[in-house]
Amino acid sequence: MSARSIVLVVLLIVSGSHQVHAQFIHPKIKSKETTIRRVVVLPAKVNVVRDSMKGPEGMAAESDELSVRVEKMVAEVLSKQKHVTTLPTTPAGTEASTDGDAQQKYNVADFQSKFDELLPKIMKKRSDVKKGRFSMGDEVLNLNLEKGTDAIVFIRGNGKKLTSGKTAMRWLVGGVVPAYLQLQIGIVDARNGEVLLYTDPHFSGDPTTAVDRLRKALEKGFKKLPE
Amino acid sequence: MFPRKLTTLIVAALSVCIVFTSLGPVALAQKKKAPVEATPPPLREEFKFGEVDLEVLEQADLLDARLERDGLVFADESANAYLRRIGKSLIPRELELERVSWRFRILRDPQPNAFALPNGSIYVTTGLMTLIDNESQLAAIIAHELTHVMRRHTYVHNRSNRKKFMTMNVMAAIGAYAPGGIVGAVIMVVTTVAPFIMVATIYGYSRDLEREADLKGIDMMISAEYPPEEMVNVMKLLDKDFEGENIRLFYNDHPSLDERIKYLSGYLGARADKVTPQMELHRERAAYFQNVESVMRHDLQLAVNAGRARSAIYLAQRLVDFHPDSENLFWLAESYRTLGPRAPQLTERELTNSAKKDAAKKSLKRTAEEEERELLATPAGKENWQRHQQMAEDLYRRALNAENPVPVAHRGLGMLYEKLERGSDAAAEYEKYLELSPSASDRARIQRRIETLKEKLK
Repeated sequence: MSARSIVLVVLLIVSGSHQVHAQFIHPKIKSKETTIRRVVVLPAKVNVVRDSMKGPEGMAAESDELSVRVEKMVAEVLSKQKHVTTLPTTPAGTEASTDGDAQQKYNVADFQSKFDELLPKIMKKRSDVKKGRFSMGDEVLNLNLEKGTDAIVFIRGNGKKLTSGKTAMRWLVGGVVPAYLQLQIGIVDARNGEVLLYTDPHFSGDPTTAVDRLRKALEKGFKKLPE
Repeated sequence: MFPRKLTTLIVAALSVCIVFTSLGPVALAQKKKAPVEATPPPLREEFKFGEVDLEVLEQADLLDARLERDGLVFADESANAYLRRIGKSLIPRELELERVSWRFRILRDPQPNAFALPNGSIYVTTGLMTLIDNESQLAAIIAHELTHVMRRHTYVHNRSNRKKFMTMNVMAAIGAYAPGGIVGAVIMVVTTVAPFIMVATIYGYSRDLEREADLKGIDMMISAEYPPEEMVNVMKLLDKDFEGENIRLFYNDHPSLDERIKYLSGYLGARADKVTPQMELHRERAAYFQNVESVMRHDLQLAVNAGRARSAIYLAQRLVDFHPDSENLFWLAESYRTLGPRAPQLTERELTNSAKKDAAKKSLKRTAEEEERELLATPAGKENWQRHQQMAEDLYRRALNAENPVPVAHRGLGMLYEKLERGSDAAAEYEKYLELSPSASDRARIQRRIETLKEKLK
């Protein structure tokens, strides 16, 4: 086998593999002082772009679809693998007025923004989640979630899909990042806002069509979370 | 077939040609001078929609839906109607643009900003609406954004970018297969330098479009009888960098604010017949504050949540000056409490570009709580905290004694006392708050705080 073929095989293996980045767990979870049984998954925000020879192109519809799929799959994986129940964002039986609906929408939006502000700090030193350094504060209680909710799940992600032209360019010229999906998932204590878990599953391949890869990446992403 | 040497020469010549042909329109655009006479409405005549443009349009529609769905659009009907009225007053009545449906919306974001989507959606953030002084300034912002839509800037920019990206990719491919020798070296140099030139032209073109939107915006203001000098005043307000976040980068898609003020003043010098009397502006300011007071209060809440305390103090003080004996006192108190041990203003040194970059890097490494702890360990931080907590306490008290007392000021006092480790006072204030506002949306949070404090006091 020539050196060129070996490189090609290695590249194929690398691009096809499901890579998973580390998981970081709060000491309270490790010591089982806090357990996660019931969670609320906030709407995922996953953005994908199409990388073409003529530059990046937005994929808003596909991003919306993928966000919903990721959100559902996170709930599914947590349920099947860790026996965690997912609750709705608004408590059942709540007779909310239109004003109340708007206020709840704002509360969720503001809390999502708060997570977006905290996320770069977490990503800067992910291992500090293990020291219990990150918290979103007790404002988390303003979400007025169903009683007994243990944690809130935040999902962010970004990915890239290559057009056939760009794929050809990748093979002919090189220097083009292959298609991928990179997620950042944070689980936050619903009572005091402490970041209990941070994981960033990642896989290579078209993010808009890869269902099994996504599931496998998520399963590995939550592997360390105690049942 | 050509001889090998000739082929490489042709490839080299071709790569140089590709770079310069794609630069051509930009270089020409940069030479263009602003028209001296008004040319409203600033339409891009005979714009033909292509497949690429329709894709951009679809993305814009989806973005509209996403902003709405994510709770980022401020749903205050009267404030939105006010924005709509100003927007419509700037658009010529007979004007109908293909695939444009005008929508004017307020975006819940404390950062001063505005943007337009090519489908006709104009967004102004609560942060910008709170920063500006009067309706004419709001008209200036909208006129700028309307020009982007009318001149089809998004489509034009996208088309131009696509050509440049294509060129960059072709250059990369040529570079990868460059032959050896001098010709190969020339190709390598050209293909290495080309992407940098391309990126510079992408940003340069974007700055040209911004400049056009500024100048055409002035024309639109004049046509709608708004004092055009307010466009310059908006730029001056945007230049106020309370949080030290306006960082100049190597590549910038907007001209610098200094540059904008300069060319707008120059353009205006030749165009404006009169400058609006100060008294008229004062009257206009009062009317504007009346119309958007609810937006301003909402923005203060967002600014406090985001820890933008310096901006919040400036904005809340303006509201207190406008309407003193009111809820506005509470917002000023909240702003001072949030400021905590931080200095009320950034120093001149802290406002230099390099210091701002350092601060941005540092803020990634520590949380707001860690920053506060660090500052409280310094004498200046302690002094600031004492002064600000005193000011906050006074303002909360005044809010409680206002004509229409604000119960939420009890919550503010509770939080202040909790930080000062006055547990029983804090619990008492929280209880008063819940007693006066039994259906408060943050009831669960405050109830929990009371329980924790009482536990500690046992």
